[in-house]
Amino acid sequence: MYFRFGSALVLVILMSVGGVAIEKQCLALRRSVIRQQYRRDALGDEYARLRLETQQLGAPVRLFEALENGRLELARPDGPNEPGAKRSPLLAWQSARHTDR
Amino acid sequence: MDNPLPVKSFDVVVGGRVIRTNGRSEGSAQKGAIANRDGHGTPGRPAQREKAESLTPPRSNAVMRGRRQFVVVAVLITAGLALTARLVQLQVFESSRLAERANRQRSYVDALPAPPGDLLDRDGRVLATTVKAHSLFVVPQDVSELWPFSLSLAAALKLDADRIYERLAEQREKKFLWIKRRLAPVEEEAVRKLNLTAGTWGFRDEYLRRYPQGTLAAHVLGLRDIDGKGRGGLEESLETVLHGRDGRRTLIRDARGRVIDLADDEDIPPRRGADVRTTLDAVVQMYAERELDRLVDEWKPQGACAIVQDPVTGEILAMASRPAFDPNDPESVSKDAWKNRAVAWMYEPGSTFKPFVVAAALERGLLKRDDEIDCGGGEMRLGSRVLHDRHAYGRMSVTDVLVKSSNIGMSRIGARLSNPQLHATILSFGFGRPTGSALPGEMPGMLRPLKEWSSYSNTSLSIGQELAVTPLQMICAHSALANGGTWISPKLVLSTAGTSANRALDSRASTSIVSKATDRSAARWLIEQPMTEVVRRGTGQRAQVAGYTVFGKTGPAQKLDPQTGTYSATKYVGSFLCGAPAADPRVLVLVVVDEPTTNGSHYGGTVAAPSAAEILRQTLIHLRVAQDDTRNASATP
Repeated sequence: MYFRFGSALVLVILMSVGGVAIEKQCLALRRSVIRQQYRRDALGDEYARLRLETQQLGAPVRLFEALENGRLELARPDGPNEPGAKRSPLLAWQSARHTDR
Repeated sequence: MDNPLPVKSFDVVVGGRVIRTNGRSEGSAQKGAIANRDGHGTPGRPAQREKAESLTPPRSNAVMRGRRQFVVVAVLITAGLALTARLVQLQVFESSRLAERANRQRSYVDALPAPPGDLLDRDGRVLATTVKAHSLFVVPQDVSELWPFSLSLAAALKLDADRIYERLAEQREKKFLWIKRRLAPVEEEAVRKLNLTAGTWGFRDEYLRRYPQGTLAAHVLGLRDIDGKGRGGLEESLETVLHGRDGRRTLIRDARGRVIDLADDEDIPPRRGADVRTTLDAVVQMYAERELDRLVDEWKPQGACAIVQDPVTGEILAMASRPAFDPNDPESVSKDAWKNRAVAWMYEPGSTFKPFVVAAALERGLLKRDDEIDCGGGEMRLGSRVLHDRHAYGRMSVTDVLVKSSNIGMSRIGARLSNPQLHATILSFGFGRPTGSALPGEMPGMLRPLKEWSSYSNTSLSIGQELAVTPLQMICAHSALANGGTWISPKLVLSTAGTSANRALDSRASTSIVSKATDRSAARWLIEQPMTEVVRRGTGQRAQVAGYTVFGKTGPAQKLDPQTGTYSATKYVGSFLCGAPAADPRVLVLVVVDEPTTNGSHYGGTVAAPSAAEILRQTLIHLRVAQDDTRNASATP
């Protein structure tokens, strides 16, 4: 009888300990998922911010006048990055008004 | 003392003894036996009898005891019933309401706004995008000293301290008050450095709309207000597509309102709005804006606008209006700058309207290409009205009538059309109704119903008076001539980034309203002969572009003086429309200048043509349109 009682008690304790361990694992995983979601959101925000910045820096309004006047130094690549890509005619073109000056 | 009342026998327990009276009168009672503990009565001795009498309870005590018991029981039963009734009320009748209330107190639904989609140009350059920004709020009821608090915030945010103090004082009992929304990173840093008491302030994430190209295409794009709603331009008209779907999350709070958990199963993530690719080309747009700025500097007009269109597809490559505004700084926008003159402003087209009348007469066989028109020596009386030309012309070919922009010659051509024919022609070129550009605030123009036409209407309309058009209507009508006679609705949206929810818009974007405006041969002849001659030797000579055969039409028009109700002698609208190459038009440019005030000229050929030509030249190069000599060489076997 004592053996059976003891076995039952041990079983109950083992189940409880197992349950607690699983619960802790669940919570840890949940924390991890939430952390990943937060990181993803933060990276998305950073991506949006950097995209805005690159678009501002590369805006035609900002670059073209300098390009047309020859004030912008261009590092011309040896060849096109993509075969068949069209060369921008703007690199070889200057406004008639600026040429007149 | 005699007691006449009969007394019944009763038992009294005294000190564990039962005393029984015999119920006789007082005299008899004195003679009664007093029971011992063992119940045996002892004939009454006087002392014992007195003692027994003194301990004998009155009859009313028992009654009182009974009543008390009754009251206690009754109270207990009533209380029990009341509790039961209340429980039934709470658990049965008000159960759902109270459960909902408890749920409300425990959980809090937090709205998660969806970021709007981006607006892109036709090559994918970002015209409008969204980033996160922090908005500052305070908890007025937790702020201990308002004035120092207001002073520090005002210093960090460059706001008025008095105004902040007033607002805080007015909302003293509130738990939430916006101080400034969508802070710049510098402002955010300044607020953090203040080290204000925790719990009295906080930041909340909000979306901030940014326009990386600055003022470029501001009128076409519009902007978003403080609550993120689209106002003006494509931001407003495409609101349903750009906005996306807001999400929500449920927060579980403790008794003090602190968040302790998230109810994951009730979360709905926000869905970002779709990106929209417009037909605008940021580079062409920049050319148009730059030329408009130069034009405005030179001629100081009330306003001006420029449109660049592909006549074959109807796609708008650029649309600019002056005065302009910076959508990144909406508070600095002046009242006049909001108006997009390309769609929300009307003017009498003047001479730019004349080719449509010629096309209608040619199409109906009422005019031959080699006909000669008598231009009356520069003056023609029409009832009480006298029509003038700039110069005294005699007989001229149809081409020359357009090249010299003779009003008299045009009135004679128009007279060959009946009023219904002229009315039908005007409608077929898209005047008198909105073009369907998808821009908010687009005006339909003004064309009087046929029944309201006077005897002068035919003449007036033949020279582009007595009707009002928007610049967009005008360029669409000329596109119909340039593409061989088909009127195509203007297009501003190329596609949306592929969610199924936006297929409706995709189909709308890829669909154009197309209608036959005029005969193909008449349209081709007008473009390749009279309108090309206008630029070669007529009023539009300043629009010549080396390497390309340009066609065009100038359009000076007098404005109505609202005070006199007649045409003003000093206020004009100068416009110029041109396109190239004449053999296969790829680009059309329209520049309209409202009331140029300097340099003493108002003619479209002087005011607008140079800018239009420069925009055209730059656009042709940008689009890699082959020059005429190259084209001819490649066409020759």
